This record gives sequence, structure tokens and C-alpha cells, in this order.
Amino acid sequence: MYSYKTGIEQIDQLSGGFEAGTNILILAPPMSYADQLAYALTKPVTGEYAITLSTNERAAEVVDFFKVAGSDKRFIGVIDAITKSSTPSIIDTPRLRFVSSPTDLTGIGIKFSNMIEAIFEGDFSDGEAGLFPPPIRFCVNSVSTLLMYRKLEVLYQFLHVLTAKLKKIEGVGIYILNSESFDDKTLSLIKQLMNCVIEIKIEQDGSYLRIMGIRGINPVWQKFSVNKGQVTILP
Amino acid sequence: MIPSGISGINDMLGEGIPKGSRVVYSMEPGVNGQLFMISTLASAISKKLSCLVVLPFTTVDSFRRDAMTTRSGSIKFSSKKLTFIDAIDRERIQKSTNSTDTAQKEWKAKISKICRDKKVEVIFVYLDLLSEEFGIERALKIFEPEKDDPQRTLIVEYLNLEGDAQLDRFIHDFSFDVVISIKSSFPPLAPFDYFTLVHTSWSPKSARSVPFIIKEGRIVPYIPRIVVTGPTKSGKSTFITTASDDGISVDRFGLDQDSTTVAMDFGLLEWKGFYITLYGTPGQPRFDLMIPGMFNHAMGVILIVDATKPDSLSRAKEMKSLVKERNMPMIIAANKGDLPDRMSEAEIRKGLGIRKDIPVVFISAKQKANVRHLLESFVDSITQFPF
Repeated sequence: MYSYKTGIEQIDQLSGGFEAGTNILILAPPMSYADQLAYALTKPVTGEYAITLSTNERAAEVVDFFKVAGSDKRFIGVIDAITKSSTPSIIDTPRLRFVSSPTDLTGIGIKFSNMIEAIFEGDFSDGEAGLFPPPIRFCVNSVSTLLMYRKLEVLYQFLHVLTAKLKKIEGVGIYILNSESFDDKTLSLIKQLMNCVIEIKIEQDGSYLRIMGIRGINPVWQKFSVNKGQVTILP
Repeated sequence: MIPSGISGINDMLGEGIPKGSRVVYSMEPGVNGQLFMISTLASAISKKLSCLVVLPFTTVDSFRRDAMTTRSGSIKFSSKKLTFIDAIDRERIQKSTNSTDTAQKEWKAKISKICRDKKVEVIFVYLDLLSEEFGIERALKIFEPEKDDPQRTLIVEYLNLEGDAQLDRFIHDFSFDVVISIKSSFPPLAPFDYFTLVHTSWSPKSARSVPFIIKEGRIVPYIPRIVVTGPTKSGKSTFITTASDDGISVDRFGLDQDSTTVAMDFGLLEWKGFYITLYGTPGQPRFDLMIPGMFNHAMGVILIVDATKPDSLSRAKEMKSLVKERNMPMIIAANKGDLPDRMSEAEIRKGLGIRKDIPVVFISAKQKANVRHLLESFVDSITQFPF
């Protein structure tokens, strides 16, 4: 089975990376650079594809992050739920697709399926082929924003479908949820859909992460930093 | 009747959507089904019906642009008989009310006023957000006409996260007249969308499913595989060639310079709004092992017999037995049915040992009109078959 490298040397050495079909929740307080960590984990290696559902940043900003991190933009897709509300005339391209707002779960579902199909059919990367079957990393930035627009029960059912589809195609999913804005019921329900949880906390001397649910990795707090899409575990 | 705007669905419904009925397009998440509602809207606009479109998830501008892109620009949004309520109206109602009860009343009052003022005949509702806000039952009540109001047609698009149980609720709890479910397969299987006419209030027929593709802004029902089988030289290749717009045949020429199919025939045709692919099997017994595999994913079988050769019926019966265990529609095409020395229908039925409900149609495989007539009748059977 395919393994998705995390890009974090210590973790890849111990576990080999994320197993195909893993759905990972990043639980983080505000201003903890959770999106930087999520994008770093979403960054595709050669032969892989990445799709980001962005409810917080415009598609161009998301693509910029990956370009700065050294990724080939032909393998990056964005479903942008921000831009269309201010620019209704914006038109979909194979790699950038727009939905009217984060409330539009119908549109998000369709654009997601369309992108996956385009990748499988080889219509995604301007004729540049990746591996087949294509390894796909998918990031939702963020579940917190989706929860501001939709009820928990509805979003749970929607994410249930999405996570199941990712398992089916042996992709990997990365979802950001603000750990301080929601009650225990919400956190626990969203966690039920995941196989792995990465918690982030901020101390005076920096940011720490703790990984739960990956074989071979102890769930201990480790100091880390993210720079240009590269996560480093600090001593 | 209001044409649904979708090939195949009109035929399944009779002629279209009866005025005053309640229709739901239920979409599972991710399925490319937005064109169903948009096609019906385009059809109602082209019939110059007064329409109200309720889209709480987006703005009118965004919707128009998306619909024009999806439908390749063929919707007359300039119609004066078209009224919208969009996300901005929803926000206004949310801000001006302090409970869901008052919000629901506000919605109902707004809808009723527009319907009266504009003499609305058809309401199109994207129900997703309203059903979340009020619960599906109360959301649907918003669109029920007042006592003295004329009947209106209600067309609903619903993001179905609850599955088939929700379809039952539409039928039994909310008295919908037409329930159409739109689903898809998903990679790594080949992407494969299909719609199912789950229920019509005026007909007890079972659910029927038809795959579809989207081509140039149209929903095109697609029959991915009809297998054409029968004994050697019964006319299978001729049938497929005559029927098809395009196709290939893998043949080998014998010493008598006659060709025989040694692998398969393949034909593709677009006809009566359907895309159909035909797969022809070889007729020689040595290929029988490969035939059952060709029935996988088939939606129907045409068994071709030479109506002038009674001796070939035993071989045709053998080939029919390869299909026997599979629950799919079958039709017998009696080729050379235009020749005087042909067998009667009773002789063919007896020779093949077939049930009464399997039709026998006399054709000449060389005559396009004959072949297409048979296909028309067979496609009709397929769309009504409870797979």
C-alpha cells in the first residue's frame, strides 16, 4: 500500500509516513500556524497530486504557498469558496474551481468529484502524468469555517461522505479544526471521522505538536517550526 | 405538462411533469447533477411559464453565470416571467427576525406575495439550506399554496446526505409526485453517473435507473452496453453496422470469402436522446467461453436468429442459455423477416423455448429503419426494467 511521506524526517523514518486512506485532523488554537502545518503535510511529492478546499484564503494565495514550498503548480488544485462571492464572473479552470460560498456543500462536493475525476483521467496536469493510480492529498482549510456556516449534524454527514471517498481512492485527508472555538461534542464527533489527530499547542518558547494514531509514533509533545513548507522537529 | 428538459425522463414520466405536481431531484454529495434542475428550469422558461427560483446558497449573478456555463448558454434569463430569491434575501430575513418561527413566517409571506403578484406557475427551490434552518417539513410548508391559490408546480433540488430513507420520506411523508435520485460511482471505478426514477404518484412501476453523461450542456442518457448475440451468420455484424454511427468489427475471411466475426463487433450510436453502445459476440461455439464475460455490466441482450434457417434455432437456444441466469431484458430479432420462406413467430418461440414476455421482432438487418425501430422498443424496455 502506498505511503504518503509527511516530510518530517523523524516521523517518516519511524513510521514510513501516512498510510493510504488516512484522514488526519489538525486540532489547533488560533494563530498557531495550523494552516502552515496542514499545507506542509498536503504538499505533494513527485508523482502525487494535492487538492485544497479553501474557505479562508483565495485560490491564488493557496497556490502561492505551494509554489514557495517548491511544488509544481501543475499538480496543485484548489476549490475556492471565497472568491466567487465578490467576483461572480470568475471562471473555473481544471485546477482552480470556485463555489459561491462555504455554505454550498452541493457545489463543494461536485467540484471535489470533478477534480478527482480529472486527475484519474489524466486531464489535470497539462498532460504531465503523475503516478497511477494517482496518490492524492486533500486539505480542508478549514472545518472551523464550514461549521460557522452549516450545522454540525449536516457537516458531519458531509464529511463522512468525503472521508469515505478519500479512503476509497487511497488518498490522504488533512482537516483543520480550531480547538478553542467548539464544544467537546463537536470535537468528538469530528474526531470520529478521523484515523489520526495532530494536536498543536503554543507555549512561551514556541509551538508544539503531538501526533496520535500513527503506528510507531509516541503521542508526546514535540517542539516544531514550519518554514517554506518544511516542518522541522526541534530538539 | 412541463417538459423536464432531459431526454429519457420525459418518456419515463409519460410526456413530462404534470402541472401542479411536486418533484424532487435528490442528489448524493459529489454527483454532477446540478444540470437536472437547471434543465427543467430552462425548459419551463422556454415554455414561457412564470417561474420563481429560490436559491438561498448563492446570489442571482453567480447562479446565472454558473447555469449559463453548465447549460452552454442556452437559458433565457432575460425572461420577465422569472423571479429570484437569493442569498441576500435570506440574509435580510435572518437579520430581521429573531426566531426560526418568525423567519419561517417571513419566508412564507414573501413567497406567497411573489406568487400572487407574479402569478407564479412553477417554483424551483434549492432546499438544502432551508431544510437545515427549519427542518425539511417546515421548509416545504413555506412553498405550499394558500387555500384559494391556484395549483403550482414545485421542483426541488435536495442534497441528500441521509440516503434512501430520505427518498421514502419524500414519497410517504411529503407526498411528492415524482422522486428522481441522482447518484454516481466514484474512482477508482470508472466515473459513472446515473439517475433513478424512484417514484411517480400516478404509476406503480418499479424504480428504473439510467446512466447518463453530460455532453454540451445536456444530460444524455447512456446505455453502456447492449450485447448482440446469435448463431454464426445470423446477421449480428450487419445489424450492428446498420444500427451504428460508428463502430468496428474484428472479422476473418474464410475460403469462401465470407467474413465471420472472430472477436467482437462494437458499435456506437446517438439516437432519440440516448447514447448506446452495442457489443456483438462471435457466433461460433468455440468462443462461448468468452461470451458470459461480455454480459457483465450489460443492460440488455438482443438475440439475433436467421428466420429462414430453422436448423439454426438449436444453436440460438444454446446461446440464449448463456444469458438465462442473468436478470436483464432480452429481445429476439428475427433477421431476414422480409423473405417469404421465413418461420412464423410461433415456430421461433417454440424453437427457442422463450417466455411470452420476450418480444420477437421481424427485421431485415440491412434496413436501418427496421433496426432502429427494434432498438427504440428495446431501449424502452431497458428503461422500464427493474434492474
